[in-house]
Amino acid sequence: MSHLTALKTFADEVKAIPGGEHLELCYSCGTCVSKCMIQQKLEPDYNPRRLLRMVMEGMREEAFKSPTTWLCSECDLCYEACPQEIHISQVIAAVKKLAVEAGYASPLTPVAVNEDLCSGCGICVMVCPYEAPSLFEKAVDGEMDRLSQVDSNKCMGCGTCVAACPTGAIAREGVSNAEITAQFPTDRTQAPALITFICDWSLRVDKDLSILESYPQEKVNIVHIPCTGRIDPQHALMALDSGVKGVLVCGCKPGECHFKRGTDVASCKLNLLDTILGQMQQPQQQIRFVQIGTQDRGRIRDEIDSMLETLAEPMEAE
Amino acid sequence: MTSKPKLAFYWAASCGGCEITITELGMRLVDVCEQADIVFWPAAMDFKYDDVRAMKDKEIDITFCNGAIRNAENEEIAHLLRRKSKIMIAFGSCSHLGGIPGLANMYDIESLCQRVFDTSPSVDDSRGTRPQPVTKMPEGDIELPPLYDHVKFLAEITDVDYFMPGCPPVVDQVWKVFQAALKGELPPRGAVIGADEKTVCDVCPREKGEPGFRITEFKRPHEVDLDPDKCFLTQGVICCGPVTRAGCGTPCLNGNMPCRGCYGPAEGVVDQGAKLASVIGALIDTDNPEELQKTLDTIVDPAGTFYRFGLAHSIMNKMKYE
Repeated sequence: MSHLTALKTFADEVKAIPGGEHLELCYSCGTCVSKCMIQQKLEPDYNPRRLLRMVMEGMREEAFKSPTTWLCSECDLCYEACPQEIHISQVIAAVKKLAVEAGYASPLTPVAVNEDLCSGCGICVMVCPYEAPSLFEKAVDGEMDRLSQVDSNKCMGCGTCVAACPTGAIAREGVSNAEITAQFPTDRTQAPALITFICDWSLRVDKDLSILESYPQEKVNIVHIPCTGRIDPQHALMALDSGVKGVLVCGCKPGECHFKRGTDVASCKLNLLDTILGQMQQPQQQIRFVQIGTQDRGRIRDEIDSMLETLAEPMEAE
Repeated sequence: MTSKPKLAFYWAASCGGCEITITELGMRLVDVCEQADIVFWPAAMDFKYDDVRAMKDKEIDITFCNGAIRNAENEEIAHLLRRKSKIMIAFGSCSHLGGIPGLANMYDIESLCQRVFDTSPSVDDSRGTRPQPVTKMPEGDIELPPLYDHVKFLAEITDVDYFMPGCPPVVDQVWKVFQAALKGELPPRGAVIGADEKTVCDVCPREKGEPGFRITEFKRPHEVDLDPDKCFLTQGVICCGPVTRAGCGTPCLNGNMPCRGCYGPAEGVVDQGAKLASVIGALIDTDNPEELQKTLDTIVDPAGTFYRFGLAHSIMNKMKYE
C-alpha cells in the first residue's frame, strides 16, 4: 500500500487539514455537548462528540450531512471545557471544508449584497469573524467596479457586517435595516417606554423568553437580533427619536459570544455613542448595554425592570 | 431690459470658503455673467438688503445660500431670500448640515461666550465685554442681531429646493451645477446636487483592509507617517470616507489626508456620525475585552471627529433641541 493510499481514510483527511490534527485525542466523553449552546437552544441533534466519532468511524456522508458540521459558530465554549484540550471547532471546520469540497452547502441563510448600493469599501471584509465576504472586480457600465461578495458556506448569519456596512448594501433576511426600523413606533404618543434589542443567544433558557413575553408591548418593545454585533448606533438613536424613552441592548458576556466577537463589537460601538452623548450634554442613561452570562438565567427580568426604573426618573445630562 | 435669469448669493454663518469657491471659477464666472445677472452677493458686490426687499416675490431665479443659521440676521435674510427666489439652494456644508459652526451645539451659549469673549488667550478680557443686542451710545442705539442658543442648518428654518454639499463645494461641481441650473436641467426638487450617491470609498483607489484587520490604537494624521497607497483605517487613522458622499474629487485623499466627511451622509446613511461609530466600533481589536476601553480612549473627540460637519444635522441634535 502506497503512502498516498494510506492517507485516504476519512479521519486522515480531516487530520491533514490544519486544526483537524487533534481529532484522535477525543475519547468521546461528551463534555463538549454539555457546554454547547446550539445543542441546548437550536438543534437537539447537534452533537460535536458524535461528529468526531463519525469521522473516526469513516462515516463521511453522514458527517457531511450532520447539522453539527454546519451550525458550529466557533464560540469555543467547548474548547475551554474539553479535558483533552481539543480545539473542537477547528476539527469541525476541517470537516466542513471537506464537505464544501465534496459539493455540500450550508443550510444557513447567508447575508446578501445589493451591488447597486455597495461602494466596495471593504468594511465587511475586515469585520466578519468568519472571513465570509471578499472584494472582487466587476464591469459595471463599461467600468471596473469593486464590489463585495459573500461566501455562503462561510457566513454564519450573525449580522456583524450588516451593522457595519455603511450604506445598507449588505442585508440578512429578517434583520435588514428596514425590517428593524419597521419595529419602531410610528406614533410618538403610543410609543413604549423601552425598546430592547436582544441577542437571541443571550436568552439562556425557555423561561427567559416567557419573561420577555410577560411585558406588555405598549411598555416594552422587543427587537430580536441574531447577535449584538448587529447593533447599529443609528438604530438606537432612531428608536429614541421615534418617541421611546430608553434603549436596552442585551448581549452575551465577553468570551461567551456565540459569534466570537459580536458582544465586544457592540460594546465598542455603544461606548462611542455614550461618549458622544456625553459630549452633546445629553442624558447617557437612556441607552444601556448589558452582557448576560451563560449562567445568568432569568437575569433579563432584572435588567428590564432596572432600566424601566431608571427611565421613570427624570433624566438629565451628567 | 434684460430677460437673463437672476442669481443671488448669500453668506450666513460661514467662513467665506464658499465664496472663494465661486471666485475660483475664474474666467468661467464671466461666462456665468453673460448668461445671468447677479443681483445680490454681499461678499463681492455692493447690493444692500433693501435692494432685495424692493424686489418682487420670486423675482430671483436661484439663490445660493451658504453658511449656517447662527443669529437672527441669518434667519431674517434667509427668509427674505426664500420669498424672493424661485429656487433656493443650500450651498456648502454649513447650509446643508450645520457644518463646522454646528459643532457649537455641543455647548451651551453661555460657555461658548465665556470662551470666545473671556478666556480665549488672544482676547483682552479686562472689561468683561459681551456683545449686546442693543447698545446705547450718545449718537443713538447700536443693534446687533441676537445669537441663537444653537446653530441650525438652512432647511431647519425654511424650504430648501436643493442641497449642494462640500466644505467648500469643489469648483468643478459648482460649474456643473451652474450650467445645469442655467439650462433648467436640475433634477427633481429635494435632491442633493453636485455630488455622487455612493461613498468616498467607491472612488478611493487605496488598498482596502484584509480579512480580520483590527485596530488596537487610533492615531491622528499628524502622528503617523501615512502610506499613500493604503486605506487610512488600516493605518489606525479615522477616515469618514465609508459614510460620506463622494463627488468631491477626493482632494483630501490625494493630499494623503483622510476624508473629513464634508460632503455629508451618502445614500443609505441616516446619521453620519452614528454610522461611522458602527463602522469604527466593529474594527476595534476585541481579542482582549479588558483592553477595549484603552483603545477607545485613543479616539480624540469622537463627536467632533465623527460629526465634524454634520452635528447640527444629527439625530442627537434633534433630540437635544426639539
